[in-house]
Amino acid sequence: MANKRNAAIFAALIVAAVAGILVWRPTVIIYGLQAAGLYASIAIPMGLILGIVHIVNLAHGEFMMVAAYLTYMVCTALGIDPFVAMIPVALVTALVGFIVYKLTIRQALKAPELNQLILTFGLAISLTQLANLLFTSQTRKMSFGYVSASLSIGELSFGVYNFVFVAIAVLMVIGLRLFLTRTTAGKAALAVGQNPKGAAIVGIDVDKTYGLVFALATGMVGMMGAIFITRSSIFPAVGSPFTMKSFCLIAMAGIGNIPGILGASVLLGISENFLKAFRETRGWADIVFFVLIITVILGRSIKGKKA
Amino acid sequence: MILEVKKLQTGYGKLQVLRGVDLCVGKESVGLFGPNGAGKTTLINAIMGIVKPWSGAIEFEGKSIAGQATHLVARSGIALVPQERELFPGLSVADNLELGAVYVPRGKAIKAQQLEIVLELFPILKERIKQYVGTLSGGQQRMVAIARALMANPALLILDEPSLGLQPSIVAEVFDRLSILKKDIAILVTEQNVRESLKAIDRGYVMENGAIVIEDTAKGLATNPHVLSAYLGI
Ligand SMILES: Nc1ncnc2c1ncn2[C@@H]1O[C@H](COP(=O)(O)OP(=O)(O)OP(=O)(O)O)[C@@H](O)[C@H]1O
Ligand SMILES: [Mg+2]
Repeated sequence: MANKRNAAIFAALIVAAVAGILVWRPTVIIYGLQAAGLYASIAIPMGLILGIVHIVNLAHGEFMMVAAYLTYMVCTALGIDPFVAMIPVALVTALVGFIVYKLTIRQALKAPELNQLILTFGLAISLTQLANLLFTSQTRKMSFGYVSASLSIGELSFGVYNFVFVAIAVLMVIGLRLFLTRTTAGKAALAVGQNPKGAAIVGIDVDKTYGLVFALATGMVGMMGAIFITRSSIFPAVGSPFTMKSFCLIAMAGIGNIPGILGASVLLGISENFLKAFRETRGWADIVFFVLIITVILGRSIKGKKA
Repeated sequence: MILEVKKLQTGYGKLQVLRGVDLCVGKESVGLFGPNGAGKTTLINAIMGIVKPWSGAIEFEGKSIAGQATHLVARSGIALVPQERELFPGLSVADNLELGAVYVPRGKAIKAQQLEIVLELFPILKERIKQYVGTLSGGQQRMVAIARALMANPALLILDEPSLGLQPSIVAEVFDRLSILKKDIAILVTEQNVRESLKAIDRGYVMENGAIVIEDTAKGLATNPHVLSAYLGI
């Protein structure tokens, strides 16, 4: 009872806050949602890996960076659009992910969690340095007309292109949900995530499932790398803040809660853009995720103590 | 012979648990008894490929399965109801049962029929078919574990303490059902509840300290003085 009432009050407060900001600074909500879409669509594959393989992949954003460079090379060489390159890039990244899983992650699955973190952190550094060697630290950019598409409603004028990421994030959640709950392979993946020993007992190849889930997730983040380069310039360290933010969003949503990543992303995107709306607080926007993660973890441990 | 274990030795790390176990199961129902820590679960783990054998042989339908990966052992036709159930708590009863069948060729072939049979065996599961397994009671989860194993249409069904956590009336029921099943499947069952299980088995072994100390028919075991005093409290 009390819990339900608290939740209702909390929801009402959020709705009121959002409505307030919407009237006062509409762009905070618009750009907040767009940022949320980008954050969520990058974080969701990382959440998938954590939920099923139980590995925190600290090289997640770096996989996106690698895919972005791959897209850059392919698109400049062949003169094609990243949205065309996105599928082959995703497939190649998935393959790279699968090989990385087989060669490294797999060996560390039974090791203590700290070893796994060090391993994926090492992977992240290696990928970044590799990009540094191959492409130097100079930023690369591709320009496309459609990115500057904008919409005017009365006085208000804003870019609409980044809503693409909102659509992708929502499609990812729906697609994963259908895959995990409606297909045998998806159910088997969930079963492996929930109880690997039980899964092996019924004949599921646990190692293969881990490998395929890892490949699927790296393929998804590879696709994001291809789309990422349409809106942002890239450089070897471009992935690292996305690793951190994705990790923060997954922690906020809770392990295995993929739709929750959407909600967490909206909170992060709007908070960041709220701070960016004022000159005095603009510099603080990049550490919002840090404050959010601390709040959520503190909140959860206090709740855990009460229960 | 469906299952043949010969001179099996294994353990965990440096700790030896099984010290040369010989055991076989034909088209029959076989009990495996012994005190806590005797090594019953370890023997089952070795058969299923969950722990690797140190030495000795394990043959299933004439082929060696010693050291094979667990999922391959399962696919070849051995289904296990583990002592700790090992279900998928966040999946529905229906999904847990389906996953019991689809990765085992001989189960997948007759999935629909098999589902009817297990739901007839455990009617309560029919009522709870859409419920998450994690929200079922311990006894109901035990039934899901047995039903999931049956979905594989196994040639050999291994049950590790199937009556653990079940109320006495249900225990009697479970053994009733096992008696029905044993007409079609070879069964290997470990049990603390020796009295009930003696009614359902043809033959049995007593394991102590990692070795088989008695092997006899159910009748023989029921009158064996050591079994009477140590396991039946007479
Ligand atoms: N995972 C493990 N790691 C280390 N030692 C283990 C492990 N599992 C079991 N053992 C040890 O192996 C021995 C045999 O255990 P096992 O579980 O096979 O006994 P059991 O006959 O099944 O007993 P119970 O009736 O209590 O189920 C015990 O001494 C136990 O401490
Ligand atoms: Mg045991």
